[in-house]
Order: sequence, then C-alpha cells, then structure tokens
Amino acid sequence: MPLAWRNLIANKQRLLRSAAGIGFAVLLMLMQLGFEQAFFDSALVVIRGLDGDLLIQSVHKYQFATRNPFPGTNLDIARKVPGVADARPLYADWFDFFWKNPTDGKVFLVRAFGFDPDEPVFLFADVNANREKLKEPGTVLVDRQARRFLGMNGGASETEINGMKVKIVGGFALGPDFVSDGTVMMSDRTFVSLLRGSAPGVDLGVVKVRPGDDPAAIQQALRKALPDTMAVFTKPELIEFERKFQAAISSAGPIFAMGTVVGFVVGMLISYQITYTDVADQLPQYATLKAIGYRTGYLLRVVLEQAALNALAGWVPAVLVSILLYRVIGKVALLPLHMTAKIVFVSLGLTLGMCLISAAIAVRRVATADPAEVF
Amino acid sequence: MIGLFHFRPTVPLAWRILTDDKRRTGLALVGIFMAILLVFVELGFFYAVPRGGLLLYDNMRFDLLLASNEYEYQAQPGAFPLSQLERVRSSTDVAEATPIYFGFTKWKSGEGDLWPDIFVIGFDPANHIFIPDSINRQSAVLERADTVLVDSATRPMFGPLDTGRIVEIGDRKVTIGGQYVLGTGFMGLGVALASTANFARLFPQRGSAIANLGAIRLKAGVDPDRAAGDLQKLAGSGTRIFTRQELDAHETAYWTTRTSVGIIFGSGLLISLVVGIMIVYQIVSTQVGRQLSQFATLKAIGYPDRSLAGTVSAMSLLIVIAGFVPALAAAWGLYSLIRQETLLPVTMSELRVLAVFAAALAMAVVSALLSVGALRRADPADVF
Repeated sequence: MPLAWRNLIANKQRLLRSAAGIGFAVLLMLMQLGFEQAFFDSALVVIRGLDGDLLIQSVHKYQFATRNPFPGTNLDIARKVPGVADARPLYADWFDFFWKNPTDGKVFLVRAFGFDPDEPVFLFADVNANREKLKEPGTVLVDRQARRFLGMNGGASETEINGMKVKIVGGFALGPDFVSDGTVMMSDRTFVSLLRGSAPGVDLGVVKVRPGDDPAAIQQALRKALPDTMAVFTKPELIEFERKFQAAISSAGPIFAMGTVVGFVVGMLISYQITYTDVADQLPQYATLKAIGYRTGYLLRVVLEQAALNALAGWVPAVLVSILLYRVIGKVALLPLHMTAKIVFVSLGLTLGMCLISAAIAVRRVATADPAEVF
Repeated sequence: MIGLFHFRPTVPLAWRILTDDKRRTGLALVGIFMAILLVFVELGFFYAVPRGGLLLYDNMRFDLLLASNEYEYQAQPGAFPLSQLERVRSSTDVAEATPIYFGFTKWKSGEGDLWPDIFVIGFDPANHIFIPDSINRQSAVLERADTVLVDSATRPMFGPLDTGRIVEIGDRKVTIGGQYVLGTGFMGLGVALASTANFARLFPQRGSAIANLGAIRLKAGVDPDRAAGDLQKLAGSGTRIFTRQELDAHETAYWTTRTSVGIIFGSGLLISLVVGIMIVYQIVSTQVGRQLSQFATLKAIGYPDRSLAGTVSAMSLLIVIAGFVPALAAAWGLYSLIRQETLLPVTMSELRVLAVFAAALAMAVVSALLSVGALRRADPADVF
C-alpha cells in the first residue's frame, strides 16, 4: 500500500490531471444516475403524498396519470367494510384542465386534483393548511413550483380555467413531472364544475384502516366487498405498480442506462491511458524491483492499488461537485435531483470497476517487463 | 526569406515527431477518438428528443400547416373550425388543404384488463397525406366503417394487433384493419389511424366540424413563405400558419426549453464538451512535454517561438484530424445501435459533422496555443 500511495502523491500535477480526467467521467455517470432517479421520483411524488393505507382505483387504470373514474357509490361500500376507518374520494385529471397564465394570458394544460375540503387526502402540509379556503366555489390552490411559464408563481389573485373564472386563494410546493407542467388543487365541487364534457367520477379512493388493524386483511375484505371493476392496492403496492410501468414503458430507462455506459467507457479509457502512461514512465523502476527479486504478483498489486487510489481521487470530488450540481440543476429544471446512498454506492462501484478493469489490461506491460531490456 | 525557411519544416517535423513513438501517438489517438465520439453521442441524444417530437410531421406531406394560434406543440395543437381551412382551400396558391384530427381515448381491450390511452389520428385517406407506403397501400381499408389501422410500434400492453381483431375504442367496437409502420414517437403508447368518418364516430361530441391541423400543399412554383403570409390573412383570426422550418424550430424549441429533457441532455452535452476539451488538452500537452528537450534545443539553435508554435499546432491538428475520422465512423454505427435499442431517432446530419469538426479543430488549436505557453518558458539552459 505505501508504495502505491507514494507513487500517487509523488507527482502532484499528474495526480491532478488524472483525478480531473476520471472525475469528469464519474460526473457524467452521476448526472445520468441522478436524472434517472429524478425521473422515477417525480412520477411517484403524488402517490407518496397520499394519506392512506389502501388505495382503490379502477381495475383498468394502467398508470397514475390517466383518468379512470368510478362511481362514488364504491366508496360507500368501502366505508361499510369492517376495519375501514374512512374512504375518501380523490378527483384527478391530467388532460382536460386548461389554465390561463394570469400575466400573459397564454393557455396551458395543467394537472388538477379535487377533494372534499373537510376530507383531505394528501399528506402535504401546505395543501391542508389552505383547505378551508377551498370551500368557496371557484377557488383553487396553485403549485408555486410549477414550470415558470405557467405564471403560478406571481401574486395574481384570479385567472381562468377552461374559460371560467377562478380565484387563487393559496399555494403549495409540489413541482412538475414528466407528464404535467404544474398542478392546481380545488374542492370536489369546483373540480366537477370546471370539468366540461367529461363524465365526472372519482379517480382514486383513499382508505384509512382502523388503528391496530392489518392493512393486508382489510385489503382482502375490500376486494370481496367491491365489484370486479375495482382494484385495491396498499400504498407500497401502488408505488411499485407505477414504478414498474415507468421502467417498462418509457424509453427513459435505456436512455439513462446508455448515458451511464458512455460515462463508464470514457472513464475506462481515461483510466487506461493514465495507468499505461504511469507504468511506462516507471518501467525502469519496476524492472529494477523485479531484478532485485520482487515478485510480479506484488508489482501487479501495486499497479492495481494505484489505480484504485486514482479512482477514489477522481470519485470523491466528482461526488461533491454532483451534490452541488444536483441542487443547482434541480432548482433550475424543477427536478427532484437528490444524492442518495444508492447513487453513491452504484457510482463508487462503477468507478472502481472501470479503473481496475482498465488497469488490469494496461498492466500487461509490467508483467512482461524484462529487466535486461531496460538497461 | 528567412521566414519561408522557418515555416517549411513545420508539418513534416510535426509528422515525424508523431510517428516516432507510434505507441504513444496511438494512445493519444484513442483518447481523441473517445472525446469526439462522446460529443457525437451526447449531441445525438440532445437532438433526438425534438426529432422524436417531429416524427409525425416528418412523415407527412405538406408545405404549410394551419393550426390554432393556441398551438403549443404537436400533442397540444389546439383546434379551429373547418370553415377556416375551407377559406384557405379557395386560394389559387393552394393545391390541397386537408384537415387532420387528433383525439385521445381509452383502448378497452388491453392486456390484463388494462385500458391504455390510444392516440387516434383522423384524416381523409384519399389525400395520401402520409408518406409511409404501408399507410397509402391500405387506403381502402381505412374507408371501411368502424375500421382503423394501428401503428406497429404500439406497445404490447394493447394486446395483439392482428388484422381482423375487434377491439373496443372509446364507446365503439372497432375492427383492426391492419398495421402500418411509422412510430409512436412521443404521441403516446399506441397510435391508430382512422378516416374522417370513423374518427367522427369515435369522437361523436366533436364530429368533423372542428379540426386540429390543416395540411396545405401548394401548387408548383409557389413560394411557401410568401404564401404563408397571404393564406394567414385568408384563414382569419385565431389561427396561424407554419412553414416547415418554422414548425421544426417551434417543436425543437418546445422540447429543448419547455421540458426537462432539454436540461437533462443539455447537461450531458455540456459535460461531454468539457471532457472533450480536457482530453485534447491533456494529450497535446503530454506530447509537447515529451518533446521538451528537443524543442528547447531547437530554440537554442535559433528557431523562433513562432515556428515552434507552428509545429505544435500542426501536431495538435494532425492528431485531432486523425482521431476525428474513425470517431465519425464509430458515431454513425453507434447511432444506428441506439436507434434500435432505445427507439430514439438519433440521426447524423451534415451540419452536425461540420460543427463537431470545427469544434475539434478549435479545441486542437486552443490546446496547442496553451501548450506553447509552456514552450515559451522552456529555457534551453534548464533542460541540459
């Protein structure tokens, strides 16, 4: 270990150059990994924000961001099932609410959620704090973190949705995802009045189980009580259902994977060049060590250790820079970019992997170093 | 005279320096190759998204497109009354003006009882508005009542797409008359084509009186830009007319600035450019560093800095150009692979090749000039 370390710090300028080279390749991978996670996270943020143990939806609903309304009578059935503390309706729409930017009058599609102000369904504190104000008909809460071209961030107090006047009575912080640019929240009555032409109906039933009761058992009971057209999920199950859909259906998965592969290959090449140059430069020293009697195996280990240290020298600053970049890009692009343990470990594994593999390939030189040739 | 003498050996000298240590130069070439390939790949991804957004338009025949002035992008085109398109048709510049209808509805015959959303495009099959042969060959099929063609790239979630299968779309039972090859792009997970009459049956609340787009074909010799202005006045308020270029620019701007994808791929592109510059600089400065004693000797003999700078620049340009050609070839192959694996329309264009080549040359020259700074400081006395 000491030899590898001493080799590393012997030439500071060289260390800086190799750390920078590997660091940028790692940065490329970290960006891809971060974006991939933000993609999935943004799709799941609302589901995670539902205040329920069990969720009821149409059996035909294939992803969260689509309307499959069902009759509210199903919630009455649910409430009668023993063990159910409450079953509250959530009205939701992604493609029929057109919001007018109060500043420039331009019209954009927004996501809309409606619920009974006396029966909140979300865990979001800022939404719940304002729900009393939604009792007045024609009032909405707006997403202050929506894409800026929607103009939800200004101080406007009224605008139009679907050509009808609405009053803006408060805001919350949610952010866009890959389907919707922004969200409005309103009471169930306002929702139905603004939704023109489409059949009204509840999209999701948010069920709370009596404290102490097993959600899985209540889930079974609900399945028996409800018609075949209804499906019952636990909250983790619904999250998994959505995650599977996003992973399988969107092209996002392969795109991010390819971006990570590109970073990996670039890193391998940079690392190969570094190792090759280092070894070639120090060939006389290695040959001498061999001549004195050091075994080839020991020298190979030294080279690999040095490669690992180079990897870390690039990885650590890359992670630190990524944390900063995640914050900046996350704010600008309104994406939930966060450094997580998973990203840290995956990137570390990939970095060490790419440096060790390329070093192992470059190290053939050391193995064949003939002391006599060098002198 | 002396100036001439000093410039002549520049390139041959650079060449001999590079070919002297083939292994090191080879390694340098590999580095340049990777740097340029990386830039090509990231550029490919970055422009693939708007290209995917333009998939439908790229496969349609029109010179101008009439749309509502609330047109956002292809999936949110707004709508306008058919009468406005009819006014446009009356112009002597216009050979054809045909309405296009867009609608989303539930496909109630999906796998596992799921009802995915299907994107339906309504049009008059006789007008041969679409380019793919697979569509035009089946015009007669489209004219049959309650029959649609389904895009072959429609996801498996929709169930089998066999000809003759009866499916429920919206509130209607519809027969799959056949498949066509175009691609779903970002229109959705499944796309179907229907004649105007069938579209109206699927979307009875709309009927055919409200269109989403008007595809306008001009008579031969008519200037699209001039005609766009005239037809705009004819069509009336609430609409706008796009030329092909305007449409391309509009959709590209939407995808790169309004969605997250622009930021995501843009940041990848930016990083790849930085990595590319770093690699080129590192390689060039290494090459110069290895030759430091030789260059110092030349300086001592009396070669002017300018001539040495010329040699370094020549070395830099030679390496970069030599690395560019295989990188371009590899990028071409990689693009094809990416198209297959991710269904993203990653395509090469002459503009891109020229732009990357110019950028590579610029990087070469800048790296050379920076390395030359080290040369200038090389004191012959220090070296010996």
